[in-house]
Amino acid sequence: MHGRPRKAYKPEEEAASAAKAAKLRALQSQFMSNHHNKIYTKEAVDLSTKLLEINPEAYTAWNYRKLAVEDKLSRIESDPDLIKTILDEELRVVESALSQNFKSYGAWHHRKWVLSKGHSSVGNELQLLNKFQKLDTRNFHAWNYRRFVVELTKRSEQDELKYTDDMIGSDFSNYSAWHNRSVLLSSLLARKADGFLPNKKIPDEYKLVQNAIFTDEDDQSGWFYHLWLLDQTVNVETPLLTSSWPSHGSRISLYAGCSNGSFSKLTTFGSESGYFPLVLNFDQAVGGVSSSTVTIDTELKGNEDLVWEPVSKKNSHVSCVWVARLKYISSEPCFGKEYKVKVKIGNSPGIVSSRGCNFSASYEFVFTAHVHDTVEESSQEGIVSWTDGFDIWDAESKDLNALTTLDRSNAQMDSKWRQEAIAEEIDLFRELPDSKIGKLTLARLLMAKAMISDDAVKGVHYNEILELYKDLMALDSSHYQYYKDVHSVALLRKVTSSTEDLSGHLFRCRNMNNSVCLRLNNLSLSRIASVEKLLFVQMLDLSHNELHSTEGLGGMQLLSCLNLSHNRIRSFSALDSLRHLKQLRVLDVSHNHIGEHSVDTTRYLCSSPLFNSEWTQDEVGRQMPTLVTKYWDAYFVLRDLNLKQLDITGNVIAGDVFSSFVLRVVPKLVWLDGKKLEI
Amino acid sequence: MSETDVHGEAVDWESEDEDSDDSEEQEEGYTSPSQPPSSWNFDKDRHLVYLQMMYELLPHHYQSQEINRLTLAHFIISGLHFLGATDRVDKDVVAKWVLSFQAFPSNRASLKEGEFYGFYGSRSSQFPIDENGDLTHNNSHLASTYCALAILKVIGHDLSTIDSESLLLSMKNLQQDDGSFMPTHTGGETDLRFVYCAAAICDMLGDWSGMDKEKAKNYILNCQSYDGGFGLIPGSESHGGGTYCAIASLRLMGFIGADLLSNDSSSSILDPSLLLNWSLQRQASDGGFQGRTNKRSDTCYAFWIGAVLKLIGGDAFIDKIALRQFLLSCQSKYGGFSKYPGALPDLYHSYYGYTAFSFLEEPGLSPLCPELGLPLLTALGI
Repeated sequence: MHGRPRKAYKPEEEAASAAKAAKLRALQSQFMSNHHNKIYTKEAVDLSTKLLEINPEAYTAWNYRKLAVEDKLSRIESDPDLIKTILDEELRVVESALSQNFKSYGAWHHRKWVLSKGHSSVGNELQLLNKFQKLDTRNFHAWNYRRFVVELTKRSEQDELKYTDDMIGSDFSNYSAWHNRSVLLSSLLARKADGFLPNKKIPDEYKLVQNAIFTDEDDQSGWFYHLWLLDQTVNVETPLLTSSWPSHGSRISLYAGCSNGSFSKLTTFGSESGYFPLVLNFDQAVGGVSSSTVTIDTELKGNEDLVWEPVSKKNSHVSCVWVARLKYISSEPCFGKEYKVKVKIGNSPGIVSSRGCNFSASYEFVFTAHVHDTVEESSQEGIVSWTDGFDIWDAESKDLNALTTLDRSNAQMDSKWRQEAIAEEIDLFRELPDSKIGKLTLARLLMAKAMISDDAVKGVHYNEILELYKDLMALDSSHYQYYKDVHSVALLRKVTSSTEDLSGHLFRCRNMNNSVCLRLNNLSLSRIASVEKLLFVQMLDLSHNELHSTEGLGGMQLLSCLNLSHNRIRSFSALDSLRHLKQLRVLDVSHNHIGEHSVDTTRYLCSSPLFNSEWTQDEVGRQMPTLVTKYWDAYFVLRDLNLKQLDITGNVIAGDVFSSFVLRVVPKLVWLDGKKLEI
Repeated sequence: MSETDVHGEAVDWESEDEDSDDSEEQEEGYTSPSQPPSSWNFDKDRHLVYLQMMYELLPHHYQSQEINRLTLAHFIISGLHFLGATDRVDKDVVAKWVLSFQAFPSNRASLKEGEFYGFYGSRSSQFPIDENGDLTHNNSHLASTYCALAILKVIGHDLSTIDSESLLLSMKNLQQDDGSFMPTHTGGETDLRFVYCAAAICDMLGDWSGMDKEKAKNYILNCQSYDGGFGLIPGSESHGGGTYCAIASLRLMGFIGADLLSNDSSSSILDPSLLLNWSLQRQASDGGFQGRTNKRSDTCYAFWIGAVLKLIGGDAFIDKIALRQFLLSCQSKYGGFSKYPGALPDLYHSYYGYTAFSFLEEPGLSPLCPELGLPLLTALGI
């Protein structure tokens, strides 16, 4: 009885208490004896009633009663009245136990057991529940029991929804009621019940929750429900293809071999291996991408049975990004020719999101591959320098347009009500006086609006979103990093929202045969986003930001030169996603914080040596176990990369020991920290 | 009512509701939240006095918990271990006492008859063994079994000497088609609490023959709500205790590792980033953890949610200084911890207060094994 005053006991009270205990003990042992000897007479059962009235926690007594009921029912012929009388007595005992303690698991369970027998009238159950739920509106036993009764009585979900109306109406802080409402609505919307089309119902729900929010903006229940609603408004369950490389209608030039991989044209690609990546980017993680769900129609030889790989951790079978490698140089001469490649996705079912939704409808796209017989001239063994020699990119943005245009036919059809609902919310929240949660919600709404609206108006929204997050960073310093991260996401969405915006960040690299470089440096980015619009990028400058990890870059399959210098990377495991980049040759991670801390506590996204014991089995691991143990995180990343140039200066880890380790793990390295290696 | 209103379960939460009528009266009278706590340090000596007092004689408030005697004993003895004072109990006596609650089948064949042979919660649920060896409706309970094994493990009893075969074989009878567990074979509510007990029992005995892990996993995943937390049964509201049972069970069964959050969320069997969000949002502005959205902070959720965050590798994001302050405001001047600041202490909240301080790495406390809810024991038991 905590929370209540403890009084000193008077002698007579002590005596009474002792007598009570003795009585209880006698009762209990008599009960156990009855139970043991399977005595189910009226007196014996009454004794268990008494016991339960004193202590509803005595689950043994509940179980005894079940046996007693079974025994009684087996003795009487199927006389419905008699059966009902027996079971009603059980319900009565439960009710009195519940009024003692309405959090008694055993009592609630006993009641379920009785009702499951199917002989009792269930009509009173909701009334009883209403009584209990008035007394304790958050009692989850009662809410669970309610869902049980509703199922048993086949009461409609619509009626239950009305009940949550009442509960929320009398106390909008009751999150249990909001929760039940979202469960019911999800079901009604999913089966498109009469009057429950999302375009009608969701706007109504916004009105309901506005009342709660605007009555007391410090109450968290309404805000959580609002967040759930926003999710229902924006997210579409069926997975969609958001982009691909090469993209629909594009014409790419393929060359044999290229040491540094970058080209003066965005549409040019070359690789020593004679393969080019075909990249599919979905809006959510999917599984089941294979040569049977994605078919390729082309005259390029040797691409009959493509292997599709997810860009995700080992042993994972789902990812947003899937890649297959197409052969463009085969034994047969194919140079100087153009090949059409037709890609059909979802012809046969099998592509499924992790939530279990199937890829919408089949979809196809076509691109042209021009295979050249000469090695592109940019091929050079020189060092890649990021410091100077960048010119504004002057090419027509048509070139870029073809690469970044997403296919609109894929977009959702019924976006009108969604836009309207969000627009209304935005107007409303602009009215809310400056509160942190108000600003945050407004920023989220604007972000949602930008996601589902036309390119033309996006830029305006992003500017406002960026301002809001800047305000929040100043107002609410304890969540600074969170705001910083979403600010970065918004900034990258803005940069990639139009070809004009994007081309402002494209440069030509004079010292590298005018290769095109995307420069997103000096933007104080702490997170990477919008990768689906950057699949074509081969040279990327992310220097002078605040990145803690490269999470997300794994999707940029064409990337060959990457500058991450002057960021906040604290360990090699933060670079884990780079392992997916088969074309990466040049990596600059100089001036970060690698090696400063033995354990990277700022990121939860890092692996640990305990989960990677396979190094003991490979050659380098066996030859230099001490160094591999010491630099395990570097080892797992570097050994999977095919680097020719690496810059690591300005990190605590850098030094002679680490350099000699790098040389062993990356045998093809030509440049380390700006110096050419003796080969 | 007592603090631990859940009968027969080691994993109990949700005691009196702050919304109930009587809380209003308390505010004015006796319980003043402003009442200063005993100290702004973890007062180990007082806690020792408190536990030792409870070890010797339980106050009458625990009357209704008679049936959970083993659970109360577990809180005291495992609590003493956290305080580094298991020498205060006579280990042989304790082991003998705990073992006297074990149920045995009269013969091997009866293992197939659907009964469960674990541990009774107390004498009052235990039949005397008669000359016929008749134990037809024994009421041994999964939670009592978890507590019995926990105590034995904590006092260093060799668990390999226990007849684990009949225990585990018969425990399989409790698993339902949907993967959940009943607490006793005569029936009872099925939910995540007992899935957890079964998993912890298998882990402590080092033998997983007692359950179908794959089925249990599917049941657990069905309990994850859209907000990222887990309810006790599918479709129910996310709850700190349910979330702990889900994550600790998945961890014990080997379905998730310490690197859950480091995995690309799309490749995990559950949604780790939503789970992280939900769990972190349970830390309220007073520094404590609440069990559900929009409820008051409560000592025990510092463990239930803190352990979840520890198990998924997200504990670095907790405001540990604020949590410590909250817990100290629940530290009683009599020793022990209460549910809310200023209330009287009870064993349940005291134990989870100790586990929470162990989680916060309080000097002088045994380190925590979050998935078992016990002190970390090296090479003890099995």
